[in-house]
Amino acid sequence: MAYFIRRLAAAVPVLIGITFIAFALSVASPGDPAVELLSMNGFSQPTEEQIALKREEMGLNDPLLVQYGHWLSKAVQGDLGTSYMTKESVSGELLRRLPATLSLSLLAVLFAILLGVPCGMLMAIRRNRLFDHIGRALALILVSIPGFWLAIMLIALWSEKLQLLPTSGYGTWKHLLMPAAVLASGTGAILMRLTRAALLEELNKDYMLTARAKGLRESFIVLRHALRNACIPLLTVIGSYFGAIVGGSVIVEVIFAVPGIGRFAMDGIFRRDYPVIQGYVVFTGLIYVLFNLATDLCYGLAHPQIRLGGKLR
Amino acid sequence: MKRTQTARNKKRMGVLFSLCLLLALMGCSGANGSNEPISNNGLSQQSAAPSAAADAASEEIVLAAPRDLAPGPQDAYYTSTILYVWEPLIAASEDGKPAPKLAESWEMSADGKEWTFMLRKGVTFHDGAPFNADAALANFARYKQVSPKSSPFYTLDINHSYPSLQEVVKVDESTIKLVFENPQPTLLYSMINFSSPMYSPNNFDDNGDFNGLPQGTGPFKLVQHEKDQYSLLEAYDGYYGEKAKAQKIRVRVIPDPDTRLAALKSGEILGVMDLGAIPPALAEELLKDDRFAVSTAKSTISHYLHPNGAKAPFNDLKMRQALSLIIDREQLVKELFLGYPTATANILNSTSPFYKDIPAVHDSEKAIALSHEVLGDNRQAVTLIVPTYGLDRYPYKAQAELLQAVLQQLQLDVTIQILDGAAYKEAQAQGNFDLAMAIQGLPNGDPYSILNNYMASEGSSNKSYTLGYSNARVDELLNQVKTTLNMDDRAAIYNELQDIAAEELPTIPLFNDASLIAFSKEITGYGALVYGTTLPQLERVQ
Repeated sequence: MAYFIRRLAAAVPVLIGITFIAFALSVASPGDPAVELLSMNGFSQPTEEQIALKREEMGLNDPLLVQYGHWLSKAVQGDLGTSYMTKESVSGELLRRLPATLSLSLLAVLFAILLGVPCGMLMAIRRNRLFDHIGRALALILVSIPGFWLAIMLIALWSEKLQLLPTSGYGTWKHLLMPAAVLASGTGAILMRLTRAALLEELNKDYMLTARAKGLRESFIVLRHALRNACIPLLTVIGSYFGAIVGGSVIVEVIFAVPGIGRFAMDGIFRRDYPVIQGYVVFTGLIYVLFNLATDLCYGLAHPQIRLGGKLR
Repeated sequence: MKRTQTARNKKRMGVLFSLCLLLALMGCSGANGSNEPISNNGLSQQSAAPSAAADAASEEIVLAAPRDLAPGPQDAYYTSTILYVWEPLIAASEDGKPAPKLAESWEMSADGKEWTFMLRKGVTFHDGAPFNADAALANFARYKQVSPKSSPFYTLDINHSYPSLQEVVKVDESTIKLVFENPQPTLLYSMINFSSPMYSPNNFDDNGDFNGLPQGTGPFKLVQHEKDQYSLLEAYDGYYGEKAKAQKIRVRVIPDPDTRLAALKSGEILGVMDLGAIPPALAEELLKDDRFAVSTAKSTISHYLHPNGAKAPFNDLKMRQALSLIIDREQLVKELFLGYPTATANILNSTSPFYKDIPAVHDSEKAIALSHEVLGDNRQAVTLIVPTYGLDRYPYKAQAELLQAVLQQLQLDVTIQILDGAAYKEAQAQGNFDLAMAIQGLPNGDPYSILNNYMASEGSSNKSYTLGYSNARVDELLNQVKTTLNMDDRAAIYNELQDIAAEELPTIPLFNDASLIAFSKEITGYGALVYGTTLPQLERVQ
């Protein structure tokens, strides 16, 4: 527990640094939140006086550090401010949208594991045989297919032709299947290849020869010894990809109309809504940290030596 | 010993795995219990929904829009007018002229400074409160409190819609009087739709925001709203006019046009609505399937090519004229927008009652000669900026490439720059561009604000788009129109301004957009309007 808290505390300065960079970058990018707010319908054209007044009211004329300081002092108390555009609480919006993005991302990771690990294992065991060749080709295809294209194809098949899954929306488990599959495709393929490579490396080690000589069953050797040792790189990839999936879910959320934090952040970026951008950065940063922590804890479970402070071979 | 350790580890892995699974499904079960119908044809109704809910769902008509049409309690209006939840005092007739809605009739005093409105009697808000003079006054008080209030539809700004308003007086239970400092001959035009919404006086909180779902007087009540997911409308039994035909309409938010098309084809939704509801190319594809139909109407949106008139080469009138002459607008509209919009050379949108028909002229030879006069034998590099929001709704990338090819004939080498909305606006304001592809909506029937913004030397659009346009005669006409009470005299001034704009081209008008929707033939009564659709007439084919 102490370890857990120490790690979380260590992440705080990193998160603050990231939010500052995100803030500085948004301020540096062309566009003015006051103009965006006053012309959000796309039709009205504010006058220079109106813009100046709005900038003053929004505190945009304060020095950068003062603006950031205001935000930070509130953020450490758990208040991420209110959106310039919608006037709604940023933390409230993020929390409201989090279940959608999180359930989507977790299901995607689950899909990736279910596809990647068993296929990778079979490919390693049946190395250079038909299954291995097919698996490698499949992995290559999955990694190369653009997500939006796969999404359109899945919708055409499962919604238009077979009418088994809803095209879009959110609310039931059926709504999550296709977006999660799209998010999982690339990661699943990487896991496939990684599992295969890691397992092959283990299978070629001396201890495998000993195990075989002892007359243990091949399946037992693979599952009990080889896979366990091959677990560490797999866990690392899964852990870091989770963060990437949360951050990369924007396009999938738009295509499948999932009301997640990705869509919220995208709107925030387009409208130069600084509180939304900062809130999103700190939030996803926190998720990254938590999942890296979870990955570390999993190392311990998978490999007792790490738990005891030992080193890997 | 080792065996038990292994067993424990296995157990832990198992627990971890189950936890992941649980978390993954957490969002599904906990999602506000909104059991959306998956399909209208009953093929794939959710098995999890209780049968009563399933029955209710099958009565619903599901439509989709690209954005959330109910931005919520902090918005100036809560919902767009196209959901028919609230109604204005003054609406627009089909030809864009002011038409009675909650105000049945009106009178202007001889000096144009006092306007008296007779309110419709026997009208109740959705919460049961009566619509009367007190309710109207409460709404005017709110306009004053919140103005200017932003919205993705139109900004609510009492100072803009009711300039120099001094007081709002209750004459009797169903009559109010607006008193102005200066004459307001075109007041009715600026009161249309988004400028005069009426809500129950009990519907506002201390800040002038909504304290719950909007309580309007319209044929539909908003009974449920899940932000960025759907709005659920229910027919209002107490509606004073012709009641809505469909009992329940669910308007889902589906941002991606391809997904909307797929949802139509799968029967999940029966129609689409709102700006960019269906891009022309997708409409064409949909029509190959005879289960579907489309409907079009004029639109308040105009498309332009803004020149940077503050620097060479487009500060030269000849060069702007060459630009206008070289573009074959008919071809552009036909090939890229499949003929739905209308080509025009008029700066003013055709839905304005003051619109003058100015046909577009296409004359390559004359255009080339004009540009040669300006550029001699030199070629000139120019930047064409394109906003990303244009790419989502319109075939703007193809349009930019077409312009790039055509403008070569004018010795112009075009570089296309695609910029996100905020960056695009800044490039325009700072003049870091030569040409910009742009759209403009007509906020109301009176063209004064549009003509003034674009053509006055100090006009806000003129300045913030760096059009660099100035003409003393135009400034004089715009000043004159402010004090002209007679509508015919105003029309004459507007005509002259439209002619000047077509001649001097502060911006190059390309075409008037069309409002285009698509729907399944399982529903009837559904059609496109200038702004929105005939939602209350929509019903399932028996």
